[in-house]
Amino acid sequence: MFDEALRIDNLHLSYRGLIGTAFSKPRALGFFESGIQPGEEELISGANLVLKKGETLCIGGGSGQGKSALLRVIAGLARPNLGKLYYFGEYIPPERLTALEVAKRQVGFVFQNGALISNLRVRDNIALPLRYHKVGTPTEIEDKINMAMDLMRVRDCAGMFPHQLSVGMQKRVAIARSWAMGPQLLLMDEPTAGLDNYNRRNLLPLIDNMRTLFKTSIIIVTHDLMVAKELGCKITFLAQKTLTEPHSFDTWLHGDTEITKELFRDLRASG
Amino acid sequence: METNKDEQLTVIGKMFHSLGLFLLRKTAGQQVALFIRAFMSLFSRSRSFKTDSKNIILQTFFTGVEIFPILFVVATLFGTVVIVEVITMMGKVGFSDVVGGLMVVVIIRELGPILTAFLIAGRSGSSLTTYIGGMVINSEVDALASMGVDPIRYLVMPGLIGGAVATFIMTIVFSASAICAGFLMTKIAIAITGNAINLQLTWDYLSTEILNAMTFMDFIFIVIKPLVFGSIITTNACYQAMNIPRDIRQVPKATGKSVIKSFFYIVCADVFLSLFYFIDYFNEISKII
Repeated sequence: MFDEALRIDNLHLSYRGLIGTAFSKPRALGFFESGIQPGEEELISGANLVLKKGETLCIGGGSGQGKSALLRVIAGLARPNLGKLYYFGEYIPPERLTALEVAKRQVGFVFQNGALISNLRVRDNIALPLRYHKVGTPTEIEDKINMAMDLMRVRDCAGMFPHQLSVGMQKRVAIARSWAMGPQLLLMDEPTAGLDNYNRRNLLPLIDNMRTLFKTSIIIVTHDLMVAKELGCKITFLAQKTLTEPHSFDTWLHGDTEITKELFRDLRASG
Repeated sequence: METNKDEQLTVIGKMFHSLGLFLLRKTAGQQVALFIRAFMSLFSRSRSFKTDSKNIILQTFFTGVEIFPILFVVATLFGTVVIVEVITMMGKVGFSDVVGGLMVVVIIRELGPILTAFLIAGRSGSSLTTYIGGMVINSEVDALASMGVDPIRYLVMPGLIGGAVATFIMTIVFSASAICAGFLMTKIAIAITGNAINLQLTWDYLSTEILNAMTFMDFIFIVIKPLVFGSIITTNACYQAMNIPRDIRQVPKATGKSVIKSFFYIVCADVFLSLFYFIDYFNEISKII
């Protein structure tokens, strides 16, 4: 149990848990009104997942299956109707399961659209969590920001605002921002979408570095199944409202299940 | 699990529980909860003085200073109207000794704070809602939370303090410019029309009348009212924005609600605060009788 980064037990999620931001509503309301109501349509029903420390896992599946929603639940941004979540072997009860509580356990999140703070420059965006939590002295923070910007090649636009950047650049800044915090568990929502081939190829070694050097556990939600092959990690699919067993890329490719036939058809055809 | 919890509660406990949930389901209850959370976040452990002070100063500047030109013009014209009306009407009906009292009641006590709050709700409240609403749509608020930065502390608290302080300063500016600039405007108007009240209306007369009519409670309410109104405006604006269900069509709706509900809450709070004078009045009635 102690070598686990994340464990999900019997997770149930409906559309009700996904509405709004949960910051204006008092937490007690959501807590006392959780549970499955009869006749409610569920998005995820009874998902289980175990992620070891330092392991990388890809979550695949067709669009609209609730992959991003699952990631939001793990980050504490959406409230599951039922189910237990353990972070690094520690159970967080539902009344305390908020994004802030999860973030305290060093869980980083890269959003699909980057989600940079629009009134801060790129440099300040990366610096915001570091300065807010006072991670080290000002010079140390400055060094860390520069290193993060160099890694993702966004140093040239350090003084720009997010709206001046392209979508791919925004995503790179977002990855740099979550890298700079040194997360133990990193959740990435479509990290390669919107990146060109060159930057995509640069991103993969970076992810690889993070898990070898810093022992970061990573969950990647992606349509790009080649990422899993190149990283050599296991893939699990979100299908029929539940998560399948994680298998490696090759097992899926040569397997004989519904999912394999549907999602690996092109890859098989191209060899 | 939950059934166990219900059984543990006594009858009184259950009543309090259902009362609490009932209050929290109401909009007003949720707004009070948001206000308390924003206020309590001042004392939370992870504090970064630099970030917070920067946010608060920016918010105060935005709410207060940038509204000054329009506020000054409105205050001046409003002050002119009040002075002209009061002087002419009171002179006619023979109550020229209550001129100062009326000015205090109309400008300083009632309409000064309310008009300032309306102006600030229309401008700063609505823009705060759009700003935070846009952040909700772009999932920037979620990003803040997932970085461990409390959105309530980072967004709502600076708005709350900045709004309250700026409303306070602007109310004083409003009252001062309504009386001083309004007086000058009245003088100009008299000079143009050549009216006879010119003899009666001097700065000495007006200022002494107003200062005599001011009570100690007025000075306290000058402070309390704007702080209450400013808190109402910003809490309501942030609440409406935070409740947008990540749908771009909800932003204009939330903005409209933010302004209109601010007006409503401000007037309600004003009535509530004015009850104090009412009690004072009743106490004096018994003396008169």
